[in-house]
Amino acid sequence: MNVMDKLAAGQELVSPGISACVGCNVELTLRTVLRVLGPDTILAIPPGCMGGVGVVGWDKKSGCKIPVFFPLLDNVASMLAGIKLHYERVGRPVNVVAFAGDGATVDAGFQCLSGAAERGDKIIYICYDNEGYMNTGYQRSASTTKGAWTSTTPVGSDGKGGKKQHKKDFPMIMAMHDIPYMATANPAYIPDMVKKVEKAMKVKDGLAYIHVYNPCVTGWGIKAEESIKTARMAVESNFAPLYEVENGKFRINVTPKNPISVREFLKKCKKFSHLSEEEIAELQRTTDEKWNRLKSLCAL
Amino acid sequence: MKFNSDYIVPIGCEGIYEINTGKWRTKKPVLNREKCSRCGLCFLYCPVFSIEKMGKDYQITYDYCKGCGICALECPKKAITMVPEEEK
Amino acid sequence: MPKIEVMNGNKAAAVGAALSRPGIIAAYPITPQTPLVEYLTQFSADGMIDSTMSEVESELSAMSVLTGASLAGSRTFTATSSQGLSLMYEPYFRASTLRLPVVMAVANREMISPQTLWGGPQDSLTVRDAGWLQIYVEDNQEILDMMIQAFKIAEDKRVLLPVNICYDGFYLSHMAEKVIIPDQDKVDGFLPAYCPEHILLDPKRPMAVDPLTNGYLLTEYRYKHMQAQQNALAVIEETDREFTNVFGRSHGGLVETYRCQDCDAVMVTMGSMTGAAREAVDAARQNGKNIGLLKIRAVRPFPQTKVFEVLKDVKAFGVVDRNVSFGWNTGIIYQETRASLYENHTVIPSIPFIGGLGGEDLTMEHFLFAIDRIYETAASGECGPMTIWLNKEV
Repeated sequence: MNVMDKLAAGQELVSPGISACVGCNVELTLRTVLRVLGPDTILAIPPGCMGGVGVVGWDKKSGCKIPVFFPLLDNVASMLAGIKLHYERVGRPVNVVAFAGDGATVDAGFQCLSGAAERGDKIIYICYDNEGYMNTGYQRSASTTKGAWTSTTPVGSDGKGGKKQHKKDFPMIMAMHDIPYMATANPAYIPDMVKKVEKAMKVKDGLAYIHVYNPCVTGWGIKAEESIKTARMAVESNFAPLYEVENGKFRINVTPKNPISVREFLKKCKKFSHLSEEEIAELQRTTDEKWNRLKSLCAL
Repeated sequence: MKFNSDYIVPIGCEGIYEINTGKWRTKKPVLNREKCSRCGLCFLYCPVFSIEKMGKDYQITYDYCKGCGICALECPKKAITMVPEEEK
Repeated sequence: MPKIEVMNGNKAAAVGAALSRPGIIAAYPITPQTPLVEYLTQFSADGMIDSTMSEVESELSAMSVLTGASLAGSRTFTATSSQGLSLMYEPYFRASTLRLPVVMAVANREMISPQTLWGGPQDSLTVRDAGWLQIYVEDNQEILDMMIQAFKIAEDKRVLLPVNICYDGFYLSHMAEKVIIPDQDKVDGFLPAYCPEHILLDPKRPMAVDPLTNGYLLTEYRYKHMQAQQNALAVIEETDREFTNVFGRSHGGLVETYRCQDCDAVMVTMGSMTGAAREAVDAARQNGKNIGLLKIRAVRPFPQTKVFEVLKDVKAFGVVDRNVSFGWNTGIIYQETRASLYENHTVIPSIPFIGGLGGEDLTMEHFLFAIDRIYETAASGECGPMTIWLNKEV
C-alpha cells in the first residue's frame, strides 16, 4: 500500500480544528503519526505547543478521539512508563506514546526520559524539535542552534547576540542509551516518517525514540508556505540528517548527492539574520563534522 | 450548590473541542484539475489534512483550511493557486 | 493463624503494602526508608508478591510512574522521606488533585539544611496542604495495619484521595518490635480490588485527562476535593472500626486519648514520642497532677471537632511539636490545635513546645518538664509564655 493510501485509510484522531499556527509542520507531524498509530493509543502531550493549541482539550471537551492527557513538563516518560506497566500487567497491547516538544524532552524532561530508556520501558517517545519553548513566546532550549535569536537569548542593539552554546545533539544522546530503536525524522519526508513510526510500533523490548526536526514558522520567522521547503533544506544541507539506529546499527536514510550550503538553510529563518560570517562558517564546520562522525558510526 | 461539571476530577469527555480554523484564512487554495498529476504531495503536506483522497483524485476541503499556502508551493505542477479569500 | 514476627518499621510497612496487593510499585531508596524498598524488591525476587516493580531513577520519577499507573487503573504504592518527598512535590500535588488513591509511606526525616538524616515529621507536615490524607502512627504494628487501612480509605468512593502513612525515621523505621502479620485471605476480604470509574486512561473508554481548565471549573474541582477530605473524617473512623471487627485491633481513628476523662490539663503529642509521653503522664498522675494525653493521628483532614471536644473544658494545654513553622514561631500541630478551639467560649491558655528536632531525643524528663509548665499556666490562668524549646531547657 502506498503511503497516500495508508494515510487516507488511517483514522483522523485529533480534533480537526486546533489553533496551531498557519503552516505549522508540528501539526502535520502529529496528525500523520496518529494516523499510523491508530486508535489503540494513549497519548501524552506535555505543556508546549500542541497542548496549548487544544490537542488535550478544554474544560469538559477532549482534543482527541483517543485517551490523551497532559503530563507535567518534566515527567512525560515516567508517567507513560507507569501507564505501559499497567497494560503489560493486564496483557493488553496498547501504544503508549509521547508527543513532546524539545523543552519537555531535552531540558526539563531529560532525567525521566533517560531513566525510562535505561529501564527499557516500552513506550514510543516522539520529540518535535522546534528549537525552543515556542508556545510560551520562543524562549531558548538546549536544542536551540548556536547563534539563534530567541526571546531569552535576544540580539542586542549592536546586532550581536543569540544563543551562545551549541545545540545539544539529542538524537545521538538517545542512541547512546542503546535503546532498540532511535530515528530522526522530518516533516518534508513523510514516507520516511511513516516507516519510522511503523518500526517504532514494532519495538517489543525497550524504548523507541523519534526526533523530528520541525522548523517553527512563527518562532523562527519563516514564511508559512515555506514551512515544508525549509524543513527539507535542513536535510539537504546535512544540518539535520535523517538517520536511524536499530539495535545499535547506524544507518543514514537520506544522503544528499549535492548538499546545499548551511547558509541557504539559515537564510530562510529570520532568527539567524544577524549572524556574522564567522558564525555562519562555524555552523557549516560543525555541520560537516557531525555529518562525518555520523558516516563513521554507520561504517562500524 | 449548583455545579457546571458532573465530575470530581478534570476530565474532558463531552465531545471534541474544535476551533473554526476555516475562518482564519485570508487566501484559499484552488486546484486546477487539468494540471494535477495526482502525485499526492499536497495531501501529504497539508498540516490540517484538509485535502482528501477520493480514489485517485485529490480534493481540497475548506472547513478547516487555514490558507497557509504549503500545498500551492509544494505542488510540482503548479496546479494549485492561492486566491484571496472573499470578504464576508 | 496470623504469624508473629519481630521486625522494624520499614519491614512492617513493606509487609503491610505487600499484603495489600499493589499492582505497581515504584520507589527510590532514601535514608531511612531504604530497607523498605529493599524488602519489597526481595519479596518480589522471592515470588512472594506479584507486583510490578519499577526501578526508578529518582523520587520525581517514582511518583510520576505511579500517577501514570493509577490513571491506567492499577493500585499503586511507594515510600519516601524528606528530600525525596520535596523532590516529588510536582506530581505529589497532582496525585491528590487528580483524585488518585496512591498510598505512600513516609519514613519521616528532617529537611536539609543543615545536613541531617534523623527522624522528624517536618518533611510531610510541610506539604500538608497538597491535598493528601496524612496519618501519623506510633508503633510498628500500627504501621503494618495502616498500610492496609490506607488503601481502603483511599479507594473509598466518598474519598478517592491519596494517603500518607507517616512514621518517625529511625525511631520506628529501624527499631524492632513484635508485630502480628494478618492472614492474606483476611486482608483480601477486607480490601477488594481497585476499580476506578472517575478517571481513566483506556482506549476502550477514551477521555482527555486534565485538559486546560477555566477557573469556574477549577473552583468546582477544588470544592469537591475539600468535601472529600471532610468525608474522610468519617471514613477513617469507619475503617478503623471495620478493621477492629476483622482483625481485633484498633488504633484509635482520628485521635487517641489517654486518661482524658477526668483531666484538668492536656498534653498533645503525635507520632512515636507518644510512648514516652504516656509514661510521663502516668508519673505526673502519681504526683497528683490530673494530666491527660491527646495524640493526633490524622493531620489531614484535621480532626477539629474531636480536638475541640477533648480540650474545650481544660484549664490549659501544651502541644509538643517535633517540627517548626517558620514565621509563626511555633510548631505546626500547635497552630492547628489552637485553631480548632477558636469557637470555644473561653480562650484556653496554651503553650507551644518544640523539641526532638534533628534526632535529639524527647525523653520522660522533657515531658515531665512540659507537664509542669502546663500546670503553671493552668494555675495562673494566663496565656502561656513564648514557645519553649525543650532541648534547650532540659
